[in-house]
Amino acid sequence: MEKEKFDALVTRFNDGTLSAGEMADLEKLIEQGVVDLTQLKDLELLDQHLAKVDMGRPSMRLDDTFYSSLAEEKRRARRSTFSFSFPEWNIFLPRLAWASALLVVGFLGGYWLTNRAASPDVKQLTQEVSELKEMMLLSLLEKESVSERLKAVSLTNDLDLASDRVTRALIKTLNEDANVNVRLAALDALKPYVSQDHVREELVRSITRQESPLVQVSLAELMVAIQEKKSVSELKKLLKSDKTPREVKSRIEESINTLI
Amino acid sequence: MENVRQGDLGKLGLLFERYKRPLYGFFYGMNKDQELSEDLVQNTFLRILKYRHLFRGEGDFKTWMFHIARNVGHDHYRKNKIRLKEPVENWENKLSHSEDRSTQWQQLEEHQMLALALERLPEDKREVLLLSKYQDKKYKEIGEILGCTEGAVKVKVFRALQELKSVYQQLEKLM
Repeated sequence: MEKEKFDALVTRFNDGTLSAGEMADLEKLIEQGVVDLTQLKDLELLDQHLAKVDMGRPSMRLDDTFYSSLAEEKRRARRSTFSFSFPEWNIFLPRLAWASALLVVGFLGGYWLTNRAASPDVKQLTQEVSELKEMMLLSLLEKESVSERLKAVSLTNDLDLASDRVTRALIKTLNEDANVNVRLAALDALKPYVSQDHVREELVRSITRQESPLVQVSLAELMVAIQEKKSVSELKKLLKSDKTPREVKSRIEESINTLI
Repeated sequence: MENVRQGDLGKLGLLFERYKRPLYGFFYGMNKDQELSEDLVQNTFLRILKYRHLFRGEGDFKTWMFHIARNVGHDHYRKNKIRLKEPVENWENKLSHSEDRSTQWQQLEEHQMLALALERLPEDKREVLLLSKYQDKKYKEIGEILGCTEGAVKVKVFRALQELKSVYQQLEKLM
């Protein structure tokens, strides 16, 4: 087709007099890059207007949740990375020696202190601090702000051993929190406690209560990791459900096969 | 993004600040739900964080981001299959019951009408137009996101714009 014919086609399109067959020809020319979309006046004008349509802006809530998640991820990354390089040993060795000496002194001091008598005051104080942390955590979990709730969940990492009250609160969060990220964080926080029977039972029960594919898949993966065979029947319920997305179903099937 | 991939997570904040609005606009254009759109933006960035090691650094970050955003959106829509979809004709009935119909329509600015027409388009057409809007008509990059050729994207945009025009004209008649 010569240039004049292309131009005639474009002109007829702009006039709104194009036949169906010609429309197909025009589409081919657009696909081949012979006709540019900007040549089609009405559509170009519409496209220009569309570029100016304002879709609004997100609220501060988004910043709030994003930055708290980022802070949490940074903290996790700091905990899990350790790197050293040989050229730095010259600087590192004296520090290591100093740290080792301090450790030995600390160890001996601690040994002397605990042997002298495990002071009931210190024990009580430790207990009180732990309870205070738990109280703070439980009250933060009730907050409206997602970032506060995420903070609460992450606080459980600081507890040596969370009480039943805390694990119950985490399970409640896992089952009922409106935000998927908080629910995922709660699931993550519960992992150290999977050896406790009631936690395992609640996690199994939670499977069918979840609607988020992310949480469903995470739970299925956890069940495989802890080899919880009792979860198979619950996982099968998800497979039967129409609400479960296809991709999730295939992941769950894999989990079930591993568990059986 | 290269810094983020190498572990400088603080730099993700810069990317977030730069792209949160277009990303939000993309999602909001798709679902018209502020809270949901914010959640989807948040989930997109969480996925970027999680899969940062997969960013090869060869292509454009924005293209990669929209690719992830699209997957995040699809995951959500798959989960909630029920979508409000009303043909334009139903709007006429609905509006004729309203006493202040003419006032309502008069209040609609041209851009609002266009946004309304966009909302009435099928999901795939709405998506390609929003990608074109927020990817500055870079059809080759949009092709990478949608998994098709640049030429195919142009045809998709062409068809979507034609339908948008038709819906827009129908809405105009209702005024």
